[in-house]
Amino acid sequence: MNAIIDPRSVQADSAPAVGGLAIRHVHKGFDIDGRKLSVLEDVSLTIAPGQFVSIVGASGCGKSTLLRLIAGLERQDSGDILLNEVPVAGPGLDRGLIFQDHRLFPWLTVEQNVLLALSNSDEAATDKRARVASLLTLVGLDGFAQAFPHQLSGGMAQRAAIARALAPQPQVLLLDEPLGALDALTRLRLQSELQRIWLAQRSTMIMVTHDVDEALFLGDVIVVMQPGRIARILHVPSTHPRDRADPALAPLKAEILSLLHAG
Amino acid sequence: MSLIAEFPPTSFVYADRIEDHDPPPAWLVALVKRARGLVLPLLLAAAWHWASSIDASMAYAFVPLDQVWERLLQLLSTGELAINAGSSLGRALTGLALGGLSGILLGSLMAGFPLVERLFGPLLQAFRQVPPLGWLPLVGLWLGSGEEAKQLLVAVAAFHPLLLNSYEGFAQAEKKHLEVGRVLMLSRWRSFRFILLPTALPSILTGVGQALAFAWISTIGVELLFGTGAGLGSLMHTAQMAGDMGVVLLCVISIGLMGYGLNLILSLVRARLLRWRVTG
Repeated sequence: MNAIIDPRSVQADSAPAVGGLAIRHVHKGFDIDGRKLSVLEDVSLTIAPGQFVSIVGASGCGKSTLLRLIAGLERQDSGDILLNEVPVAGPGLDRGLIFQDHRLFPWLTVEQNVLLALSNSDEAATDKRARVASLLTLVGLDGFAQAFPHQLSGGMAQRAAIARALAPQPQVLLLDEPLGALDALTRLRLQSELQRIWLAQRSTMIMVTHDVDEALFLGDVIVVMQPGRIARILHVPSTHPRDRADPALAPLKAEILSLLHAG
Repeated sequence: MSLIAEFPPTSFVYADRIEDHDPPPAWLVALVKRARGLVLPLLLAAAWHWASSIDASMAYAFVPLDQVWERLLQLLSTGELAINAGSSLGRALTGLALGGLSGILLGSLMAGFPLVERLFGPLLQAFRQVPPLGWLPLVGLWLGSGEEAKQLLVAVAAFHPLLLNSYEGFAQAEKKHLEVGRVLMLSRWRSFRFILLPTALPSILTGVGQALAFAWISTIGVELLFGTGAGLGSLMHTAQMAGDMGVVLLCVISIGLMGYGLNLILSLVRARLLRWRVTG
């Protein structure tokens, strides 16, 4: 399907699996006008290496906060977040984060934006550029390396943001409503693209969304959140690449929707 | 042009007619557009010429243009104009560099560290109210009327606009961009170079434009007021003392043209540096 050969996918069978997450009894609150507002209460979740996990929930249920805790942008009040059995302390290149708004730097070209993500790598400049070029091919942005972000459509900008997040080869890719700002058609197309990229990369991916169909199309595991807590964890039986019309998805969708309405 | 696009020629005759109305070549359009800016200066020169030909006293106030032309040729052949213009230009640009860089440095520090802002803010706000040439008596007392004194006054003029604009620019740094920097584990230097500096750049360049104008005006001002050494202001000062109004006029024109040129160069640099913006 594409010409990219990710070294990790070749080694995947022999190398020890990385990118497993354990979230244990995590609490998090914010101070708002002097009052403590609890956002996450005793959240526990185990994610196997290479899994695609979708987190669904209404706005304000704490799903984005959970993602930011895993990314290391915020710190939990109590509880543990372990990546490969090591506690997360601040951001790290083993975790990539994609935001709802692409957050590309407008003053850098697409290529420079992705290159910046490689600034901690010791590779030679030519190797870096080659890697950026293959990442841009992976996300379908061939020929746009020299474009500035304002010259791209919303979908293309988000593709560039995905390439940037993948550049440091994170074990875990965190996606915070990555397609939320896109129109419906672009959204469907990028869902398929995300699935293709995930199949090519096989890193752990955790995506927050409030689109139940999107969660079901991409996730091996669906985490349904109600404000502050995990209401249920569902396993999706069908394999990837997935058919949107798969009849096995319909009862799951009904269950998720009823949980969301109950919350 | 839009008509041609909407109604493409369908017959030979029609096409022939269109050829008569071919748009003029682009270079001609550009030339005419440029030339429009020359209409008023030419009218002004004509009015000047008319005023100078009324009588002898008017001819003293409005030096006849042929005399001005003669003085220009003299100043050019002796190299006087070039030396003095070069001296003023060098003074303005050195002052811009010294004052401007200190302004950017302090402005970025004030934006980055609240303590620096609280320490320097009130004092600098008060200093800013004093026009750059208002320091001239004190600076003259401390440093005399030599090059250091002139340079300091020009630097002060360039300092304030860049302090203010770079402070505002650096304070605009967006949390969402800084967060990306954290996720990508950018070093402090790279965060500055690739996030903070580009964020502040449009504002800094606005400051450079103001500082350049202030530095140029102050350069001429200090040269006029001190009246020593080389410089267009000194040349004007000497000419005024000698009643040589032709040279005074030539100095005024040179000052205006050079300031105009500096601004033009800056706007080209600006367009190049900010080409990533949606509206250039």
